[in-house]
Amino acid sequence: MTTVWAIARHMIAEGIRMKLALVFLVLIGLVVLGLPFSISGDSSLTGAVQSFMSYGLSATGVLLGMLTIFMSRSLADELVGHQIFLVMTKPVSRWQYVLGKWLGMTILNAAFLLCSGVTIYGMVHYIKRTHPPIDDRYDKAELNNEVLVARHAVRCTLPDFTKPAEMEFEQNLEEGLYDSVPDFDPAVEKARLASKYEARWRVVGPLQMRVFEFENVLCDRSPDNHVQIRYKTDVSDYASDEIFRALWVFGDPFMGARQVSRPVRQVVGRYHTVHVPADSVADDHTLTAYFYNENPYEGEPQYRNIIEFRKSNEVAVLFIVGSFEWNLVRLHILMLCKLMFLGAVALLMTTVFSFPVACLASFTIYVLAGTRSFIEEALDFSSDDFATMFTSMKEFFVQLMMQVYNVIYWIIPDFAKFDAVESLVNGRNVSLVWVLQAVFGLVLVKTVIVLGLAILLFHRREVAEVSV
Amino acid sequence: MAGQIQPVVQTAGLCKTFKDFWRRPHVEAVKDLDLEIKPGEVFGLLGPNGSGKTTTIKMLLGLLYPTKGRISVLGKPPTDVSVKARIGFLPEESYLYRFLVAHETLDYYGRLFRLPARIRSERSDRLLDMVGLRQEAKRRVGEYSKGMARRIGLAQALINDPEFLILDEPTTGLDPIGARQIKDVIRELGKKGKTILLSSHILADVEDVCDRVTILYGGQQRAAGDIGELLRKTDATQITTPSLSEKTIAQVRDLIFRLEKKDILDISNPRVRLEDFFLRIVGEAQAANIRTSGARGGGEIPDFLKQPTESTTQEVVDSLVFAASQKVDPVPIQAPLLPEATGEPSSEVIQQLMGSESAKTTPEPVEAATERPRPARPDRPREKPSADAGVIDELLGRAKQETEGHSEDKR
Repeated sequence: MTTVWAIARHMIAEGIRMKLALVFLVLIGLVVLGLPFSISGDSSLTGAVQSFMSYGLSATGVLLGMLTIFMSRSLADELVGHQIFLVMTKPVSRWQYVLGKWLGMTILNAAFLLCSGVTIYGMVHYIKRTHPPIDDRYDKAELNNEVLVARHAVRCTLPDFTKPAEMEFEQNLEEGLYDSVPDFDPAVEKARLASKYEARWRVVGPLQMRVFEFENVLCDRSPDNHVQIRYKTDVSDYASDEIFRALWVFGDPFMGARQVSRPVRQVVGRYHTVHVPADSVADDHTLTAYFYNENPYEGEPQYRNIIEFRKSNEVAVLFIVGSFEWNLVRLHILMLCKLMFLGAVALLMTTVFSFPVACLASFTIYVLAGTRSFIEEALDFSSDDFATMFTSMKEFFVQLMMQVYNVIYWIIPDFAKFDAVESLVNGRNVSLVWVLQAVFGLVLVKTVIVLGLAILLFHRREVAEVSV
Repeated sequence: MAGQIQPVVQTAGLCKTFKDFWRRPHVEAVKDLDLEIKPGEVFGLLGPNGSGKTTTIKMLLGLLYPTKGRISVLGKPPTDVSVKARIGFLPEESYLYRFLVAHETLDYYGRLFRLPARIRSERSDRLLDMVGLRQEAKRRVGEYSKGMARRIGLAQALINDPEFLILDEPTTGLDPIGARQIKDVIRELGKKGKTILLSSHILADVEDVCDRVTILYGGQQRAAGDIGELLRKTDATQITTPSLSEKTIAQVRDLIFRLEKKDILDISNPRVRLEDFFLRIVGEAQAANIRTSGARGGGEIPDFLKQPTESTTQEVVDSLVFAASQKVDPVPIQAPLLPEATGEPSSEVIQQLMGSESAKTTPEPVEAATERPRPARPDRPREKPSADAGVIDELLGRAKQETEGHSEDKR
């Protein structure tokens, strides 16, 4: 390890003294320190903090990704400048050399992440203190309860729609409704019927009530604690003030939970949070919420709205499971895991190609890893579900691309899966399990595979190779 | 096996072919090279540009892989990492890190040899003293002149006190002081039993320090052998005396004619060498403390490099037995300066090394008691004035005579 450490130290010194790391440090500093003065979000304190964290952390991630790729130039430079002749004629194994370089990059990245994390944390508190208040007490409470926390989310348990779908299917079958349907697939039909029932369930008509059940709400149920219901509604035929009125009732007294009601008067089409006492959660850690589509405010007219809880806007119970500080730390660990993988990729490329080619290849992989979900969706969208490779020329290329991507994505991870910025910004818990998945999947498996490949290729390479 | 000395470098049928982009053979840089470098010898690798010297060195260091043939360095393949702990290498150019200062450079390479911090620091200081860059130790290597960078290159090659030193064009880019110093270092290390492979274009340098040379051309070995044997002119005799009068010269001419029926071919006053003249002028300037931002004259070779190369007892005994069994004719020029050894040389040497009582009673030269024997240079002629007399010769009491006798020959 002495040798690996010596090379890592040298890599760090090179990064700092050759000013590459410093340039990126300045850039990150400018982004992190400059953003609060250039972004205001939706003018609320919460919006300002969320915008700052979102842009600041994303920019830091991108800049450090670029830095990691550029730092791999160290190996390429030593090959071109022949400094490697002196290193490889010392008792240094090829694996020690590659590992030392990677470790140096990782330590530099970790140091930078630490700096950016501390700066972001400081700036969040600076914004919190200096942002012009609209309603100071409310603003800060909202920030503290919805952003500067680590909340776990439990989505509502949907009723089983397959039973009514099955019943309707049987009835339709008896009535012979499907007799004239060509290529009839009962499974597809049942799924369609289930979707129809779910869509109906998601719509709450005027003066109707809907029950939402949440299971495994493992919060501290003391009366002074609270949980939050987060939801977003789409309303048809809403009032001219674009505000809908409704009543939430929480807690099932038959299950040992305190029942409370919360009348709401909220803007349509935005996420809202309702605070509920934690003792409204039953002993078996279930929470029952009743939503009444009626105006609970006396003296106001009843608007005959149809309120919809869309599938994409899941209703969830949020409860605090940790602090913002630990959330921030875990997010940075996730970022570091991604950078560790990227560092291994950059070194692998540098052991094979000259720097410009290696740099281009590394950036391509970085982009592919970052946009994996998007590309998969795009390819999926382009392809006809029932088509084969030989259906058409277009289908041939789409299918071919999918096969190529399948091979590439066998090793390239989906960086979006380990992107916790949105969770942090929304005050969601960046769970330890998530971090462990990243450490295991990204670092211990994929990074080790890539590094192993880099070492193998570098071992076979003649460092004084001359191509004539 | 007793008497069988493991060569430091051995190559058999070594070939290196460089390929083009399409992996087709394009240039045969080295062809069927059989090389053997014995422990303790200063070996010169000569040849014009493109003759395969550097390619050979790179293969010996595992930086290039041979296309064909076998290589053994210190008994192991060159890719064996453990071997490299015993090798020092100065490449043809100083491939140093521009962002490190001199001291950090040496410290870094010391770390790669896993030297403890105290030793790294101590050796770095000593080596910087030796190469005359102690004053510039805090300057970044990127700011150094080429010659200064070469000096740091030499220092890094010595940081591990190597058994086997490979110097590729070591005097290129150096001023005469630096070049002389490198030659001094080579001589000094050679004396201490280190094995040195020297590749150089500057033939005078090679002639000054090497015991054996091989000349490459077109990647093939064209000539090889002991440098004294290769360069000796047997059809002429040179005598150097203090300045003689015309009358004495005429008498000498008559005498030679009378005895040998031959005439003197050339009579002239010898000239001082430009290198010596230059060094004297610079030495005077340094003595006057004239300021310079470049390298100083350089200092003493550090003590750690003066330690003899470690060898096993068996190797030492084997080499001494082999050496003592060789016929060495003393050169009877003067009365011996050291007492003549008595008895069988080989048994005396062994007894001396084994610390037997009989050996202790034998009068010994002082150096023999302090220096360990050179284990594997048994057949090396003691020709140069700077050459180490060697333990065998010293123990035999013939060192001084031989040295002086051969010095005369050489002049």
